[in-house]
Amino acid sequence: MASLVPCPHCGARPREEFTIKGAALVRPAADADPAAWMDYVYLRDNPRGRYDEHWHHTAGCRRWLVVTRDTATHEIAASREAVLGAAGEARP
Amino acid sequence: MSDFRLTQQAALKGCTRLVSRAIMLEALPEGHVIQVLGKPGDPHLTARLEAMSDGSPHAVRAAGPGQCFIVGDRTKTHAELADLSASLQPEAFGVDQSAGRVRIRAAGPMVEPMLAKGTAVDLSLSNFPVGHATTALIGHIAAHLTRTGDDTFEIMVLRGFAQSLWDDLARMSAEFLED
Repeated sequence: MASLVPCPHCGARPREEFTIKGAALVRPAADADPAAWMDYVYLRDNPRGRYDEHWHHTAGCRRWLVVTRDTATHEIAASREAVLGAAGEARP
Repeated sequence: MSDFRLTQQAALKGCTRLVSRAIMLEALPEGHVIQVLGKPGDPHLTARLEAMSDGSPHAVRAAGPGQCFIVGDRTKTHAELADLSASLQPEAFGVDQSAGRVRIRAAGPMVEPMLAKGTAVDLSLSNFPVGHATTALIGHIAAHLTRTGDDTFEIMVLRGFAQSLWDDLARMSAEFLED
């Protein structure tokens, strides 16, 4: 697991400050097919390679982030604010 | 009625100042701490809050997007808190944390190496200038760090963790206290 996580608000921080929620997926429309909701709620791909995850900076700015992480090399390609929409690129 | 008297006492009551030429650690008076929750990205928030603070330097400290702390050494009355809360709205909301968070001052030429034992934040003056503030882990405890001078930091922590953090800081300072 990556040990330094770039937070767009706080800079690089150790992963102990974060809580990981899991895959960052696009939420289906409220009236979408039950199969799409089944997929969204329960089914995960577990890919080898780049993966978008929700991370919460629990011991820092307390914002939800979307961190793009490589599951094989643990490299972090980008991290951005999940809610505010400000496209924060990965900070060193 | 309760059978025993509830007495209010400071969270760090028994913690006496630790001083050497290299480091100084002291518990600050439990005055007021108000957490302000505003809109992330509001460029005028800090300026507005500074006008509402007691005017002492670094009374307003950033704590993440749209959030700040207003701190001071003097206790605020219920009426003063209500006034402050009313003047913050509707752009922001204030939560009185005066009894919830405790401040500790760490100072001295070795303050950066001392804090670096517990936190991963780059505390060098170029990266963390005077007035800069952030929340970070110190050991296992989340604390709010503010640089109030070239060699001075204020550490704000939840009251229940204050004694534990003080013990950690004292231990981190131990090597600089031997003179």
